[in-house]
Amino acid sequence: MAAPEPGARVPVRRVPHTSVLRILVDSFRMFDPRRQLRQPVMFALYVLFFLVLAFTLYPRAFPDIARTYSAPYYLWITLILFFTLWFANVSTAIAEAQGRARAEALREIRSGIRARQILPDGTAAWGPADLLHIGDQIEIRPGEPVPMDGDVIDGAVLIDESMMTGESSPVTREAGGDRTSVLGGTLVVQGTARVRVIAAPGDTFLDRLIRVVEGQSREATPNELALVVLLSALTITLLTVVVTFVFLADSTGYLLVDLATIVALFVCLMPTTIGALLPAIGISGITRTARANVITKSGRAVEAAGDLDVLILDKTGTITVGNRLAVQFVAAPGVPETELLEAALLSSTLDNTPEGRSIARLAARRNAPTRRLEPGQFKVLPFTAERQMSGITLPDGTELFKGSLPAMERQGGVAIPPELRQAAAAASQEGMTPLVFSAQHRALGLVLLKDVVKPGIRDRIRELRTMGIRTIMCTGDNRLTAAAIARESGVDEFVAEAKPESKLLLVDREKSLGRLVAMTGDGTNDAPALARADVGLAMNSGTGAAKEAGNMVDLDNDPTKLIEVVSIGKQLLITRGALTTFSITNDVAKYFAILPAMFLATNAVPLPGIALMNLLGFTDPHLAVLAALLFNGLIIPILIPLALIGVPFRPRSAIDLLRRNLLYYGIGGLVSAFVGIKLLYVLLVWLVAVPAFAHVGVVVGHVLPLGGL
Amino acid sequence: MMDLAPFWDVIVLIALVLCLAPWFGAYLGKIYLNRPTTGDTILIPIESAIYRLLGTSPQKSMRAREYLFAVLWVNGGVLVFLFLFFLFQNGLPLDATGAPGMRWDLAFHSAASFTTNTDFTHFTNESQLSLGALVFAWPLALFASAATGLAVVAAMIRGLVRKDGTLGNFYVDLVRSVTRLLLPLSFVFALILVALGVPETLRNVVIAHPLTGGTQTIELGPVASFTSISLFGTNGGGFYSANAASPLANPSAVSDLFETFVMMLIPFSTPFAFGQIVRKRGEAWPFLGTILIVFLIAFGVFVAAQAVANPALAGLSGVGASTNGYPVGQETRFGLADGSLFQVVSVYSNVGANNMQIGALSPVGQLVLMFGMFTQSTPGGEGTGFGTLLLFAILGIFVGGLMVGRTPEYLGKKIGTGQVKWAALALLAHPAAVLIPTVVAVAGGFVTVSSGTLPASAHTFTSVLYEFTSESANNGSALAAANFNDTTPFFNIAGGIVMLVGRYVPILAMLAVAGMFSEQGFLPPGPGTLKTASATFTIYITLFLIVVTTLLFLPVIALGPLSQIVGGV
Repeated sequence: MAAPEPGARVPVRRVPHTSVLRILVDSFRMFDPRRQLRQPVMFALYVLFFLVLAFTLYPRAFPDIARTYSAPYYLWITLILFFTLWFANVSTAIAEAQGRARAEALREIRSGIRARQILPDGTAAWGPADLLHIGDQIEIRPGEPVPMDGDVIDGAVLIDESMMTGESSPVTREAGGDRTSVLGGTLVVQGTARVRVIAAPGDTFLDRLIRVVEGQSREATPNELALVVLLSALTITLLTVVVTFVFLADSTGYLLVDLATIVALFVCLMPTTIGALLPAIGISGITRTARANVITKSGRAVEAAGDLDVLILDKTGTITVGNRLAVQFVAAPGVPETELLEAALLSSTLDNTPEGRSIARLAARRNAPTRRLEPGQFKVLPFTAERQMSGITLPDGTELFKGSLPAMERQGGVAIPPELRQAAAAASQEGMTPLVFSAQHRALGLVLLKDVVKPGIRDRIRELRTMGIRTIMCTGDNRLTAAAIARESGVDEFVAEAKPESKLLLVDREKSLGRLVAMTGDGTNDAPALARADVGLAMNSGTGAAKEAGNMVDLDNDPTKLIEVVSIGKQLLITRGALTTFSITNDVAKYFAILPAMFLATNAVPLPGIALMNLLGFTDPHLAVLAALLFNGLIIPILIPLALIGVPFRPRSAIDLLRRNLLYYGIGGLVSAFVGIKLLYVLLVWLVAVPAFAHVGVVVGHVLPLGGL
Repeated sequence: MMDLAPFWDVIVLIALVLCLAPWFGAYLGKIYLNRPTTGDTILIPIESAIYRLLGTSPQKSMRAREYLFAVLWVNGGVLVFLFLFFLFQNGLPLDATGAPGMRWDLAFHSAASFTTNTDFTHFTNESQLSLGALVFAWPLALFASAATGLAVVAAMIRGLVRKDGTLGNFYVDLVRSVTRLLLPLSFVFALILVALGVPETLRNVVIAHPLTGGTQTIELGPVASFTSISLFGTNGGGFYSANAASPLANPSAVSDLFETFVMMLIPFSTPFAFGQIVRKRGEAWPFLGTILIVFLIAFGVFVAAQAVANPALAGLSGVGASTNGYPVGQETRFGLADGSLFQVVSVYSNVGANNMQIGALSPVGQLVLMFGMFTQSTPGGEGTGFGTLLLFAILGIFVGGLMVGRTPEYLGKKIGTGQVKWAALALLAHPAAVLIPTVVAVAGGFVTVSSGTLPASAHTFTSVLYEFTSESANNGSALAAANFNDTTPFFNIAGGIVMLVGRYVPILAMLAVAGMFSEQGFLPPGPGTLKTASATFTIYITLFLIVVTTLLFLPVIALGPLSQIVGGV
């Protein structure tokens, strides 16, 4: 393997597109019976299609058909059945194509990448990354792509992950701690590191995502399975109803039954709409999660997200910005505010910590007097472990210091006036951190630092509550600080002074109460809890252990992403329920088209009772049946966008959701079917009246080898 | 405009039942929660003695499979006992009527009929049943079948609130149903019936000498007590073949209303028993609401259909304007309102007692009655009617639960593949048990449908359909068309099998679903949980029930009742 080292290939990002050709090819490939067998409802339709095809082509083989046979009518039914099946395939193919496109866009980045493997004897070998195994060690260098997912075990690097996450600023990855993980396909900007490979080729998160999307490892989720059982039971029951109806109608003698019409009736009654779109709905859930830059390892996790009861959130980085910021100054009694502000500004201008910068910013906003300092006239006294304070020595020798109250008192020898002490205590009560300023050991006043809650987090937590999800904040802070942040962010509960194992205990406690728990995490410490949680969202920046333990990985490292995943999960279930309801109420309308049509075909003058059923005023029985069957087929492509995007979902109370969806998809299904079938019927009547079109049917009748009928 | 005056007593009666239902339902709940009730001091020692006799301990709680076996064991025993009794009734005590032993197929049909709470009779009581069968064997089944239905639904409901995998003790449920509900109350009701003029005697026959000359043999017996338990236990069998149309079983308008009340009491109270057992009273309302909506619509349509003139008779002489349009065989003593209420209550509660000739009803009237047997659950028979409604609700909640974006759950129990499978099986069994035998009967030539002209043959078809619907729903009412003879071996055997399937497949499903629920823990209710005790949910379940039932039965409705309509409706 030891080969000369060529220049590393810089990955080029290719914009993937959903290939129409591929969808077409796939949609026809899905006519494979083994593939159809996966969806019982569609398989029934598949069998019926061949049955009607046989009726159409060899009518004489079926003695019962001769009575009512009409070549164009049979042919049209065969065609509509074919297109119904094909539409179902197309919906699945589009969903798969979308998912594949997303996954491939992510994978594209690292095709053809080569790796520098460190062999056990310490020498390096340059070869294709595809030959690496889990546990192999590789070296990564600046300007080269990371060949494979792994953990940094030695060294530190700056990595550009923009091609994966869209985040432009490079991130640090170093050995030890919680930021060891590097993702295959990202680019090393700076530094060299040794990495242990944690994924075998073909088994990276992206590979798994593609497999899940393409259905190779897409096991049905529990709810999907239960729904398939319900739909299959409904189909079997309706089959019993229709088959018995054939015999009954036949032997009662007052209704002449036509087999193609019976097949049409059965197809219309079967829940084909939901049956056809079920796979697409499931896949699109995963794809939409992937679009949110969250890679799921199974469809199950997305569905579970829709069910969550409890969300465990880290305080730092999730709920708060992560740094404390200055929010208020409190001057000591007898000290003019300007003096305090000036001291604050001077002591913090050159303090480059986030806290220091925020103090300077706040002081400047408060119009602190500015003074021009020439380099060399002053001395910065940085924060040290012994001093516990930081400060500056001005040209006139004045020493300005800032530090925590106990440090200033002990190390700085500053006398704190009781008013200031009181203000500091009160601020602590509210979860703020007070810092004392001093000039020449004289206390000037306080600045209050606060852990600032991320903008918008309050709204998101309220949204979660509307969806019925409780949030628990986990923090290492003391109770007071934790309580203040909890109050401000609106979380339902918090755990203060959390230890590494606290999260696991919390997950276990909630689970033992029967709740479904989600949590986010990035550290190796989080791994057990991530694995225990029903939904474990690991941060991409986290350790390999965390990513392996969780069932989702967020490429953007944004823990609030869980809220989006919850919405997608709920949308997934709602889409299934809504389309099932739609399918069922559609059926009622289709009955009222086909049943009267069957009686019409036998008696030109309808029975008074049956005339009552002829709500849509049909006069041509064949066209009525075709209109219903056509509607049944066409509704599938019309609903594909809904299946792929999901029904609109806004957090609301459950009963409100039920009311709305019942109205839209239940009543809507009933009305749309009546209106749609009537419109199609009118259209067909009009088309048949067009002479040229009518000839097609006659010609077809002559061309087919159906002689004698 | 219809005169509303005759409907006042109907309104008062329904209001009375609804006022009593929460209280009575709570009492039912207590029975099945093994809570103390009145009469404990006397009853507990008696019950304990019975448990000892049965070799069961009242503390023992059965798992679903064990419970099912106990149900099948007891019911199987009753079935075999009745079969043998009917077969050899002429050799057994109290054979004073001289009725011969039944043919084996008739004995099977009758035994299955009484065991399954159907009480569909293919014989004439007066000539084909011995007194012993009438006053001993049959009443035994009246109690046993009613108690079985109540016990099963009690076990099913308990499954929703338990997590130890057990459903309770069948023998305890069975015994307590009898000692604390069926026996004492039917005794009281029998006394009231006696006061209202229903005979109760051990004398068998009275010979009357009417003014028209000749003699008339009037059979008497414990009519009041028989009628009482038959109606209270939603069995529906009549002491007389004419059932509640006989003036001896139903002598006056007051007795008619009282008997209606007796039929309604348990079925309309069961939702409240459910609320009591699951410790959430509010959960009773959606079910009561569903039952009431369907029941009241049905009653309204029935009355409207019976009130118009029969278009087939228009212009014929002798058809008075005073009678309603379908005068033949109708209950004329109590008027349209009270007579219709009795009949609709009887069929919708799966009692199956008649006070009119269903075959002479208008097609829409027949359709209304059949719809009640299609749903079997509005309110349906003792216990099992409510159980069926729960199975419907489970499927409805599954679809509705998805629509609110959560894994469907009910009362903190998740509805998974298993529950959906069993609930769907039970709902599948009913149309299958109705339609398949109807096909075999019609296509197999066991009844001739196609010989007549259209309304007549549709009528014959309707009556075959009605027969199997009534048997599968364990209802017992019959639409006896003139040219349809259902006493042949085919209809006896097929009917017997249909009744057993229609009874025990749903019971199997109810216990299976309950068993699965009882093994689950509880999900704590959260703000995201679908609130089932709400008006929206009530309307949803009602629509779900109506739509699913319509989907399954509309084709045969079109072939039967709808094809019978000859004029305007």
